[in-house]
Parts: sequence; structure tokens; C-alpha cells
Amino acid sequence: MNQASEAVSLEVELGPVRLPNPVLVASGTFGHETEMAGWVDLTLLGGLVPKTITRRPRRGNPPPRTVETPCGMLNSIGLDNEGVDYFLQHQLPKLLELGCPVIVSVAGEDVEDFVELASQVSRVQGVTAVELNISCPNVAHGVDFATDPQLCYQVVHRVRQACRVPIWAKLTPNVTDIRPIAEAAQRAGADALTLINTCVGMAVNWRQRRPMLGTGTGGLSGPAIKPIALAAIYRALEVVSIPIVGVGGITSAEDVMEFLITGASAVQVGTANFFRPRVTMEILDQLPGLIRQLGAQGVQELIGTLRRPEGSA
Amino acid sequence: MQQERFFGQVPVVSNEPLARDTWLLRLDAPAVARTIWPGQFVMLRIPGCQDPLLGRAFALWDTQETLSGGPRYLELGYLVVGKMTRAMRNLHRGQKVELWGPLGNGFSEFEVDHLVLVAGGIGQTPFVALTHAALHQRSYGHPARRYRARKVTLCYGTRSAELLAGVEHFQRLGVEVLLSTDDGTAGHRGLVTEVFQKLLPRLSGTSVLVIACGPEPMMVQTAQLALQHQLPCWLSLEAPMACGIGICCSCVVPVRRGQGWDYCRSCLQGPVFDAQQLCLEQMA
Repeated sequence: MNQASEAVSLEVELGPVRLPNPVLVASGTFGHETEMAGWVDLTLLGGLVPKTITRRPRRGNPPPRTVETPCGMLNSIGLDNEGVDYFLQHQLPKLLELGCPVIVSVAGEDVEDFVELASQVSRVQGVTAVELNISCPNVAHGVDFATDPQLCYQVVHRVRQACRVPIWAKLTPNVTDIRPIAEAAQRAGADALTLINTCVGMAVNWRQRRPMLGTGTGGLSGPAIKPIALAAIYRALEVVSIPIVGVGGITSAEDVMEFLITGASAVQVGTANFFRPRVTMEILDQLPGLIRQLGAQGVQELIGTLRRPEGSA
Repeated sequence: MQQERFFGQVPVVSNEPLARDTWLLRLDAPAVARTIWPGQFVMLRIPGCQDPLLGRAFALWDTQETLSGGPRYLELGYLVVGKMTRAMRNLHRGQKVELWGPLGNGFSEFEVDHLVLVAGGIGQTPFVALTHAALHQRSYGHPARRYRARKVTLCYGTRSAELLAGVEHFQRLGVEVLLSTDDGTAGHRGLVTEVFQKLLPRLSGTSVLVIACGPEPMMVQTAQLALQHQLPCWLSLEAPMACGIGICCSCVVPVRRGQGWDYCRSCLQGPVFDAQQLCLEQMA
């Protein structure tokens, strides 16, 4: 039955980074460290992005922090984390022992914060890449860097100068046009773009005349935002040539194929981990079969093979 | 020894009303029924469904054994409150649900003279198996946990009599049941915490453990009353959660840390907390 399964190569290259397969997990959806060890074989993941770290510990936002919406959920966790010192001392060593690539997500309040965090993390042997979370909608100023091409350029450029490991810039969909921002990140030296972070959203309890989240608005994730993510990748690829890591509403191997064909070189599974703890393992089981259905020998040859419609906008 | 965790689809055995808007779902899930401890929970989801999308947390009601021995059926009590629980009413025998667990810490082992349970709303659910274990020496879980009490009193309050679910069940197990309803249709008219308060003077001189489960203000008040009377008190919290396994960081509750407080994940460190661990003033 498993004839030719050995013929399919899942390996992907993202600039200087080579990953065993394109199925990663998204920051903020897989715990701070090895919480998922009892649920999935972490060694099989294409990469693990732990929850974003900041310079100082953050308690996070007051509950309720999540609320379900049609085909998705809103969150306003607020970058709850123990801070970079604790992370480097206690959490990162455990992550690096796992044997799967580790991409460290960092968020700063200003450019100096980003530079300091990224350079601290990049000094640790074994970190595959640093992902700059310049797009979290749930902290004050969190979203600013990725809503303005100049600010985006500034932060990525400064981090580039201070950081030895590859840099992935995680961008927000909450902009009129993602192209100038994607282009700025590339020009500043980003090795890849992670597209997309959550979409700003809100849920309301009309009887109590109150928002359902403790912070009013939050970030929408889950299957509801998959079309937004695909469009962001499609658009960004009009102006950039660096690899893209696709994120947004992926729940199946079929979804992964849609992202790869559209032009993502790898994907991150996020919210689906919450409601199907073993979803990444199922995707990895099914992906080779789908790749074979297109007559391909490996993932790499499928990336960005979308047939753009003639009258495409 | 670590508890084994299950993720998969399991068939519904039965799904029957217990009281108004209150149902008992029985699942054929031996892998969970054999390992789960009272006070633990499972996450349940309708397979393939994207709306509702997320799983929901349900406390263990009880397990049922087969004649050949060994727990096989997992019972969950639920109150119909939203999209998911409305959909759950239509679950029928043979239909499959997605299940993961057992989750959370569950009740620690204890041996006391008098176990006092305070339940509000659907908060009686985790107390069925606990009573079974404490009064009838039934063992639960793998590795097994022991609970012992000479006497069990349940203070149980709902909005109205027709919402009371499982009262006869507790009485059959030998529990002293003291009821309250908001509208006075059964038991004391008023809050269940008032019933508990009246009970307090009777509790001196013996080893007592108080455990509360229900709406947060009710639990906080129960804890404050118990602590004022120097009685140990545990709370089984019902913080809403998206994953149940420690990765979504939704279900945080305030716990004491050094001179201050911090949030911790209820799904991993709870849902059962010693009231003294919690920062009650942040909750109230």
C-alpha cells in the first residue's frame, strides 16, 4: 500500500533555512515550551514557534481572553509570557532538545526592544530563525510596526544588523494594502515573511451591552480567516521574492496544499491545534498522498505554481 | 506514573434529559473511563464541524462498568447554554464525537470525617463520582486515587426546582442533600451560600473538607466563609477554555505568587485549587 511513499520529499528551503517538512506550528498556539509533548511527536514537526516572548514578563490580559465566533475564535491573550531571561534559561533549552527546528518569536515595545531580544536569542546555538512579531493586535503599539512600511523597514533593518540568524517578519492583515509593507520587510533584509497574524475583530453581548472579550477587541483566527491569509500571500508575492510562511485557518492537509500552491514555502498550523491536538500529525500523514495526486515528487516543486487568472487584480 | 491521554472519536451510547435543559451523555470510551479521576474533565467536539468550532470542557459525571468488569462508559452532565450544548441535545446512539482527555488535576486524595460539597447551577457534576468514591470506596482512575469520608453533605442550589438534576442520585448514594432555589420552588429560597452558612456551626470538632463548584461569585463566597471558619476549602473552577491542554492560555485564573499574584492556566494547574492558592479578591 505504501508504494512510492518514499518517493515524496517533504523537505523545503526558506532562504538559508532548510526544514524537514513544511508543517510548522504557529506562535501562541502551541504553548511556551513542551506542553504538547504528550499529544504529538514533536520531532516530526517542520518547526515549532513557541509563544512570543518579550523583554519583561507579562501577565497578559484579564479574562475572558477568548470567545468563539462562526468558524473561528477571537483572542486577546496579551502576550502572556515569563520574559526573555526566564525563556533563555528554562524554556529554550528544553525546546532545543526536541530535535525539531525552533523559530523563536519575539515582540518589543520599540525598535531597541526588538534589537535586544533578537540578538540575545540569536546568540543561542541551535535557534533556526527569529520571527519578529510586529503584528500582535492585543498589546498597545503592537500592531504599529507592520502597518507602516517605514516603521517595518526600520525595525527589520535594525534587527538585521544585530542578529546572526535568519529573520522572519510576521505581518498583519489589518492594512489596506500589504504589498508596500512586505516589500519594505524584504528590502530591510528579512529572510522570509510570515503571513498572516490575526485579523482585528470583536464580539458583542447585546443583552449586557458589553464586548465579549475583556479588552473589547481581539484577534480573529481559525478557518474564518483562511481566505484573507491566501489573499495576503497572493498579493505579497506580486512584490517580493523572499519565501513566505503561510498562516491562517489551516486545519487539514488540503489547506496546506492551497497555501503551497499559492506560494507559501511552508505553513504554520495555529488555532486547529486547540481543537484537534494531533492535527499536525494527521496533516503530515496525508500530505504525501496529496502531493502525489499532482504528479509531483516533492513539496518544493509545487510552491507558487498557482495559475494566476488573466484578469487578476 | 503518568496518566495516559486519549484523543479520538468515540460513539454515543445514550443522551437523556436529567432535568430542564440538563442532559446526561454516555459515551463508549473505555480508554478515558479507566483512567479519569473525579474532578478531571474532557474536551468534546462534534467531528468535522466548523461552527461550533472549538471543543468544550465537561467534568466527569461518573463512569459505568461492564459486567465483565472495568470502567467502560464515560458519563458527562451538561446544561444547555449555547450553540454547542444545543447541538449536543441532538446527539444519538451510535453517533461519534471527538474526545480528548482526561485533563486537569482532579481532586487530590483525602480522608475526612465530613465532606461538604457546595454546588451552584451545573456545579454538582464533579461531585457524583467523588461521592461514589468517598462513601462507597469505589476506586477511580489509573493510577487509582482513594477518597474517604464518613459523611457527605451536598448544598445544592439552582434558579428553580426543575433545574435540579441528580438529587435522587446523591440521596441514593447516602448523601445529605440541602437544596436552595432562587424562586423558592424547592428547599431554601435564596442562595446556596446561605444554606452553607447555616451549616457552618455544625461543622466544628471534626475533620472537614469543603469543596465548591459553580458560578464564580458563589465559589468565592463559599471559600471566604470556609476560610473564616478555618475549614480547608477547594474550588473546582469552570474557567472557559479553547483547548484544555495548556496551549491557548484562555483559562487563566489569579493565583498568589510571592507578595503579589499571577495568572496560571486552570486546565493544567486546576481546575481544582485550594482556595488559599487563589487570589480571591481578584476573582470577586
